Amino acid sequence: MQDGVVSVAVVDADRARAAIIEEGLRAAGIPRVAIVPDSPDLLDRLVALAPDVVVIALDSPSRDVLEQMFKVSRVVERPVAVFVDRSDTATMQAAIDAGVSAYVVDGLKPERVRAIVDMAVMRFNAYSRMRRELDEAKTALADRRTIDKAKGLLMTRKGLSEADAYALLRRTAMNEKKRLVEIAQAIITAAELF
Amino acid sequence: MTRLTAGYVPLTDAAVLIAAAERGFAEAQGLDLVLVRETSWANIRDKLVFGHFDAAHMLAPLAVATTLGLGHVALPLAAPVVLNLGGNAVTVSRPLADALAEHGGLGGGFAAAAEALGEIARARSVEEPLTLATTFPFSTHTYLLHRLLGAGGLDPEHDVRIIVVPPPFMVDALRRGHVDGFCVGSPWNSVAVDDGVGTILLLGNQIVRLAPEKVLAVPAERADDADMAALIRALAAAAAWCAVPENHADLAALLGEPRHLDLPAALVQRTLDGALVVDSAGEKRVDPEFLVLDASRPEPTQADWLFDAMRAAGHVPESSRDAVRAVYRSDLFDAAMAGTPVTR
Repeated sequence: MQDGVVSVAVVDADRARAAIIEEGLRAAGIPRVAIVPDSPDLLDRLVALAPDVVVIALDSPSRDVLEQMFKVSRVVERPVAVFVDRSDTATMQAAIDAGVSAYVVDGLKPERVRAIVDMAVMRFNAYSRMRRELDEAKTALADRRTIDKAKGLLMTRKGLSEADAYALLRRTAMNEKKRLVEIAQAIITAAELF
Repeated sequence: MTRLTAGYVPLTDAAVLIAAAERGFAEAQGLDLVLVRETSWANIRDKLVFGHFDAAHMLAPLAVATTLGLGHVALPLAAPVVLNLGGNAVTVSRPLADALAEHGGLGGGFAAAAEALGEIARARSVEEPLTLATTFPFSTHTYLLHRLLGAGGLDPEHDVRIIVVPPPFMVDALRRGHVDGFCVGSPWNSVAVDDGVGTILLLGNQIVRLAPEKVLAVPAERADDADMAALIRALAAAAAWCAVPENHADLAALLGEPRHLDLPAALVQRTLDGALVVDSAGEKRVDPEFLVLDASRPEPTQADWLFDAMRAAGHVPESSRDAVRAVYRSDLFDAAMAGTPVTR
């Protein structure tokens, strides 16, 4: 911690997520943020950077590599502890739920650490939400294409109007207790066989 | 049906837990055992400590470290079931294998390997020391490496570099030359051999016979409830099933599935059978006790071995012998197997 400015290293194989966290931390007034790739030389890079806080995705196998920082005093001179302090279980719970973990150099003020962890948690959650929405949008679009294709097949092969083709699809789905897209997919598969 | 969630790391020695969940042993005890695959031991520990898991497949030394709060939040853990003994091996890169052969350290057993390793490591420069990988700071793998290096007259803290590499990345680290060798559990040594990047130098049993490896770790405060007793019985039954050689093909196929280890069943089966291929030439080494899955009762002698190994590595203070012993709960195992719930 040079001249009282906290430095943070963000370790994440997901570069988009790392960038979002970096931006969040900068916006929160932490100017020294470095994104470190989740690569085999991670420990060496972190030793060179000597950050005060390391934020790392919970799903990164490199978490075990960071654990070494506790034991290998020869590599890292400064003691490192996970998260904040023992009493702050709410912060830790939120972090685990969000899928993020933080390693903190001993001696940092708990409030400062908590602010960093909270920001990382918020950004992780926001990113997950964004990903979910994107996935949903993609699925919806793909479903729509499948249904349109099945509708087209019914129109050409059975001579139905678009409205009737759709009504037939919906009725079948209701009778079979299946989703509309599943019936549509079944029609497309069957049509490919014939 | 009571639902219990358990975390595991994809390794052959998760076999007992996986078999319990997927071959009806948990169900027979009235348990819905849900397994969650994890990528790191740190996650296993954190999710157990913060209540996301009811139980976990855990490195025995990590259960001790978590109980003592070494480098992390302390939570007393209990190990009421041993999931396996052994199953580890030391694998070296092909260049190191060649060097060991030149020094007479290949295929000659523990003492010859240790001596040759000592000669090779001492010839290395300070800038580029012999680099070996372990799976976690608090692991049997670390202590086996210490034993091997010590026998070669090397100080593991100063004469070589020991780094942590997650098991699934071991083979890649060896291929890229980031490490000269590693100590890891099954089946990763066999993966290195099959990929043509490594030679198995020693089986774990050649360094320490039947060393403690994974345990079922549960929070001590709820280790004696009825659900845990049911889990202990389910795991003991699953362990007995896993140990029958005729079941190894089925077990290997189950472990090899993409949602578990995601590796060829034949490769996994070699580690279950203890019939290992040690080099690219197809040289075999057979040890029926290479990986013992049915030593379910936590024995105090195992806790004492752990204490001695952790003490020698400077990981625990001399005063912690009883605390280490307290993790190994043979009393809970005995009570569960007797079918009588333990009361405080």
